[in-house]
Amino acid sequence: MAPYDDWNSVEDEDDEELQDASLFEARKDAILFCIDCSPSMLEPWDDPEDEDMPVKCHLFVALDATMQIQKKKMISGPNDSTGILFFNTLLTQTSKGQPSELREGTHLYQLIAPLEVSKIKDIQALLDAAKEDLGELKKTFPPRVDGFTPMGDVFTSCNWTFRDGAPKTASKRIFLITDRDEPHLSNDPQLITAARANLDNLTSLGVTVEPFFISTEEKPFDMSRFYKAVLRPNTFAEDEEDEGRSLSVLPESISIAKIEDLLAQMRFHEVPKRAHFSVPFQLAPGLAIGVKGYGLVTDKKSVGKYVYFHDFGDRMEQAKSMSVYVDEDRQAEVKKSNVLYGTAVEGAAGEDNENSTPTRAVKAGQRPFYTDDEKRSLRSLGMEPIIKLLGFKDHSSLSFEDNIKHSTFIYPDEMAYSGSKRTFTALLKSMVKKEKIGLVLALIRRNTNPRFYALLPQPEKLDENGWMEEPGGFHLIPLPFADDVRAAKYQEGYTASDELEEAAVAWISKLSLKGAGYQPDSYPNPALAFHNAQLEASAFQEDFDKEDFENVTDPNFKNIHKRAGELMQRWKEALAKDDSADLVAVVSAGTKRKADTSVDEEEIRSRYNSGELAKLRVDQLKEFLKSKRQPVLGRKADLMDRVSEWFDKN
Amino acid sequence: MPAERAGYTVHMFVLDVCKSMGSPHTFTLPDGRTQEITNLQWALKYIKLKIQEMIYNGRKTDKCGVIIFGTEETNNIVNDKQGGYDNVTEYIPICTPNAGTLRKLDRLEPSATYGDPIDALIVATKTQEEWLGKKKWSKKITLVTDGQNIMELEDWESSVAKLNELEISFLLVGVDFDSDDPEYEYQEPDKSNVKRQNEQFWREFLDRVDNGNMGTLGHAMLYLSKPSIKETASNPMRSVLRIGDAEGKPDQAIEIDISTTKCTAVANNKAWKNFAVRMKEGTKDEEEILIGEDGSRLIVYAQLKKQAGWYVDTKEENDDDDDKKSIKKEDGDGDVKMEEDSDSETLVQVEKENLIRGYKYGTGYVPCADDSFLRLETKKGIDIIGFFDAAKFRRELSRGEVQYIWGDKDSPLQQVALSSIARGMAKKKVMAIARWVTKDGSDAKMGVLNPCLFDKVDCLLWAEMPFADDYRQYTFASLERLVTKKGEVLTEHPYLPTEEQCEAMDQFVKAMDLMKADKDPETGKHTEWFTPIESYNPGLHRVKQAMFHCAVVDDLATEPLDPPHPDTTKYFEPPPKVVKKSKEVVEDLIKKMNVKEVVKQPKRTRNEEHVHAADDDDEPLLLARKPTATFSMSQIPASQPTSPTKSKPEPKPKVEPGDSETEDESDDDTARKLAMKKAPSSSSKNPLPTPARSLSPRSHSVSQANIQSPAKPKQDDIAMDIDADIDPQRDPGRVIGRTRPLDDFKKIIEDPESYPSAKAKAMKDLGHVVTGIVLAPFASRREQELKDCLKEMRRAALLEDEVDVWNGFIQDLKDKCLFSTPGNKEFWEVTKKMGSGLITGVEARKLGADSDVGEDQAVEFLK
Repeated sequence: MAPYDDWNSVEDEDDEELQDASLFEARKDAILFCIDCSPSMLEPWDDPEDEDMPVKCHLFVALDATMQIQKKKMISGPNDSTGILFFNTLLTQTSKGQPSELREGTHLYQLIAPLEVSKIKDIQALLDAAKEDLGELKKTFPPRVDGFTPMGDVFTSCNWTFRDGAPKTASKRIFLITDRDEPHLSNDPQLITAARANLDNLTSLGVTVEPFFISTEEKPFDMSRFYKAVLRPNTFAEDEEDEGRSLSVLPESISIAKIEDLLAQMRFHEVPKRAHFSVPFQLAPGLAIGVKGYGLVTDKKSVGKYVYFHDFGDRMEQAKSMSVYVDEDRQAEVKKSNVLYGTAVEGAAGEDNENSTPTRAVKAGQRPFYTDDEKRSLRSLGMEPIIKLLGFKDHSSLSFEDNIKHSTFIYPDEMAYSGSKRTFTALLKSMVKKEKIGLVLALIRRNTNPRFYALLPQPEKLDENGWMEEPGGFHLIPLPFADDVRAAKYQEGYTASDELEEAAVAWISKLSLKGAGYQPDSYPNPALAFHNAQLEASAFQEDFDKEDFENVTDPNFKNIHKRAGELMQRWKEALAKDDSADLVAVVSAGTKRKADTSVDEEEIRSRYNSGELAKLRVDQLKEFLKSKRQPVLGRKADLMDRVSEWFDKN
Repeated sequence: MPAERAGYTVHMFVLDVCKSMGSPHTFTLPDGRTQEITNLQWALKYIKLKIQEMIYNGRKTDKCGVIIFGTEETNNIVNDKQGGYDNVTEYIPICTPNAGTLRKLDRLEPSATYGDPIDALIVATKTQEEWLGKKKWSKKITLVTDGQNIMELEDWESSVAKLNELEISFLLVGVDFDSDDPEYEYQEPDKSNVKRQNEQFWREFLDRVDNGNMGTLGHAMLYLSKPSIKETASNPMRSVLRIGDAEGKPDQAIEIDISTTKCTAVANNKAWKNFAVRMKEGTKDEEEILIGEDGSRLIVYAQLKKQAGWYVDTKEENDDDDDKKSIKKEDGDGDVKMEEDSDSETLVQVEKENLIRGYKYGTGYVPCADDSFLRLETKKGIDIIGFFDAAKFRRELSRGEVQYIWGDKDSPLQQVALSSIARGMAKKKVMAIARWVTKDGSDAKMGVLNPCLFDKVDCLLWAEMPFADDYRQYTFASLERLVTKKGEVLTEHPYLPTEEQCEAMDQFVKAMDLMKADKDPETGKHTEWFTPIESYNPGLHRVKQAMFHCAVVDDLATEPLDPPHPDTTKYFEPPPKVVKKSKEVVEDLIKKMNVKEVVKQPKRTRNEEHVHAADDDDEPLLLARKPTATFSMSQIPASQPTSPTKSKPEPKPKVEPGDSETEDESDDDTARKLAMKKAPSSSSKNPLPTPARSLSPRSHSVSQANIQSPAKPKQDDIAMDIDADIDPQRDPGRVIGRTRPLDDFKKIIEDPESYPSAKAKAMKDLGHVVTGIVLAPFASRREQELKDCLKEMRRAALLEDEVDVWNGFIQDLKDKCLFSTPGNKEFWEVTKKMGSGLITGVEARKLGADSDVGEDQAVEFLK
């Protein structure tokens, strides 16, 4: 939750943005980590990468990841709840105020309850002990020797655990971690049926299962053995409302994690998927489909969410900020619903009571101010929420600089309009094929301004195994208005010679990064991480040493200098020899982003005739070439050649 | 003319207040009604809007003065010195205008006499000249007249000469002058000879003025509503671009001095100011009445101030929970304020300085006195992390405003250095990943640098990228690859477009292309339709227009806002040519895609109660009776094939509410017959979200569930799964059931994702349900619940602007209670006591809704 004073200082105009975010965060999330304790999960294996702990087992990694997620949730979702349930263990539940009796072979290690430091410390202690002796885990969670717990029972235990512990309003999820693709010894169809029916039960209560199946080279995880028949599509990907709709269809976007990736995979699922908005997308009058919008890029998280406390000596009480609207002359408080909106007024002209409340008198019954609703309807120009297609443009027409805000991802909503998916998919495929973007006018929420957006198609990408790599959909990119575009400050400056450019190319070439462009995952916000590390240390009453903090956004100096250091030095030397080193700047101020150039063909012809094309400016040459439909790419020399060519021919 | 610069301008308005200006001007309101004002009021509106623009821009050096002619008395500096120039008055001396200036203009009335415009023009020129003295400011004069009076036309050439000598830009605005401007053509019918001559005179006059212009008032008003862009000069910020370790390896590391300026910056409206009607001292709802100079009754709107304070609730700990709830609720409004009825006496105001920050950590808070947490040390500048292939840039990640990065403007060397990098990057077709710290110690941002080569200067563009913390990756089901449970990949399915459909879409995309949909009026070349720099922010300019409007009128009800200027909405529809061209393609696409709107059902509830509820409810029985009432059941047409055969979507007619009443075998039929028309009970009438047949019938799994192994949970849990969440007491086509109508209703009304149409439907349906219950036997058992429903529905009607629905409903309820058999007179008494009557215009308008019910009518209604 944002601190209350921040709430209050926000102008009304920004209301929607904030409410939006709060809505998003207000809903609680409850995760039950459901971890397999079968002997294979306890089997030690070597991890040569990790010097601290060269021998691990799956259970250790799973518990460690669970704890990391809990720690992260402490900050990212402090109101969320988690619980841990083991299965295939000899331990059975008797204590800890567990109201419902769980199925045999399942053990509720942590009730579903709000996050607490002490619980994390418990796991931490357990993990520390396991680090010393991996057998410790086996002692604590002895595996079941008499066979395996039927998955149906596991789901039933989950059901009861949720019923007892999860807040009603929360989104409820099970993170199922197992390495057994055949959970039962026998392939009894009844077990499958039972598992499926009990899972359906969970589903109908709004619980979704997010499976993390551990697959190793020695022991690949084969979905078709059991889970394909049990898991439902809505179990992982579909929206909650979609359940029961597409029973026959099994999108295979199930996370099968290599054990090394378990934590990363879990983080991926840390935040439950939630739509920001749901609006009709009108392709043409008479043809609208349903879409939902998801914020993949969100507003920047502020460093540290806090509230204020007042120290009464013996106790601390949370303080709340409250604001009221007051007619100061009268010290009369005005209800928010009676507040009207207008522009500044002043006392009658010439009168001198400067300090009094500005007022405006009109005849009784008249009202020169807007009500809240009137005010709000102004900005939307009476539009209702909609995404309206205006047409299509070349992909290249979406420029780098036409950006002001983060984008939103849209995905079809079959629940609003039947046929949305096929229409959406057809549009997506067509636009990808033709390399087009869409131009849309949209009002995605009431009380906002209508805006133009570029509709950027993202084709669906599956990896070689058919797993989803990138989902298909459109990015809605808000375009700036003319009002938002600033002029380029400078129109003229000194530019580099070819030699210097070459010197720069030399080291630029050496400094290319691996991977596919900018990868958000590689750059956690250092200020936030630094703050949270202190917060965590403070909560766990540990010392915080800022020297231990690694800022992963720091450039890799070692590599930079190793790979390009000498080339950079050479470039610097070349720069020092540049003519411009002795010059004093004369730079003229610019006007609008696009320069106005005028060309006079006669002048250019006379220059050409007298062999003085070099005296012309590049923009003049370009403009001339443009008017003759000649290419305008290249350096000045190229342009001059092309101009000469043209005159030769004509 | 001196170069235009913002401010440093004296603008004189010269206004005709002669008797003839009292003639009426009729205009049409947006709603079709017509209204009459005087020409003077019209002219004043123009001048006030011009002055309001100066007030809005808020520049001290934007001055104006007002000279009026045709006044009974004479008061001007020329008359003071040399006499003559009668009936001309300096009404507002040159000043920086404020809202008071506008109010003073409001007091002007047409006089009973006449004055000369040229005299007034000379007075304005002199007044301006004298005020300016030696200042070299821009000078403007705008003269507004109806041209209805005979003018003295001697020696007007010398006035022109004076205007030119002083480099005054002069605008003449004529009331109902003829205009042949293509944007605003106008011919006044029955024009008087005097006026015709005067118009002719002014044309000749303006021909000789160097900076002169002339127009008709209607055109000038239209021009005023034209959006204008506020040019903002970007202030360059100095910084440094670094590559490598400047401290550790200074020989190799690169540092370039740079200036950064904004490339895009979101323009916002000025904030609204808050007002309220001033109440009589000591009263809460009695308006304070003043008596104006002319004896009229006035009310006062006072500008409000927001007073914020910090409070600690010293109430006993035990109702901590309730407290939390009330805060939560306020949060939803985005405004934390005291609830009217909260125990404010337990609140103690505290000083903000004495408060300690507590950071939320799990369920608790970590207190942090004096902000003892360290901040990460950062160093001002932009550090390049590395370069990557520009083709791999993900445009959708760009998350903010874009900045220019220039070589330091005073250093050619630094410019050359930056230029070489920009060119090098362009040549290699790469972009850079970089980290930007705006000043020492401030939080870093990540971003991408893209080279940008202008004709005569090279620079980089910066686009901010999200941190890992601000980026989410959700899983989405595949759109193109559908797999059955048996592992077969489907090639045909209602979710998948057919080749025919794809072909129709291709045609559509082609037909709606905008790359050549516009035409350059000068060259005649086909150009791209819409670019950002041609598009105005419609909301921004609308709000600005509205702000100006309310500053210059006294009553928004009688003088409503003009429609938005067409320039602001010119891109709201695709270009007409494209629409025309694509008409057939669109029709074909609509036919082939066969998309149908789904009647929104309330969300399924999933409270744990359902699990328990199973025991004491005869769910399966009800279910058997009413198979159409649920999603899941409607997917079980027994005869459907159970294998995943594809099928063409079947068109499903949209169900008309009221048309879909089902036979209702409950015992409260009497009343329901009124609403019942026919009883189609076929499930196919209820359009499903997916038009195809169910491919894996739910009945299958149900039956399996029933033959489960002993290791199963209670049987009724399974039955629950089938139908627990949907009220069996809900009629098909209705979104509100009779079991818990209020819950159903709230779910829809409070869901931010609900469409307005869904809300209206919920309201209508709740009305039906309430009426049904009221008229059924034993209604009194549910009296409290019914009252709550009425309360909630009335509140929603006001908030959602569905007042008519409420008023229609309550009227109907009253009629049925009192006049139908058996009726329910007792309940109407209850309703009366609650005061849940008609919503009146006064009440509705408070919340911005509307109603044509008067106060008297409402009082009468509840009698």
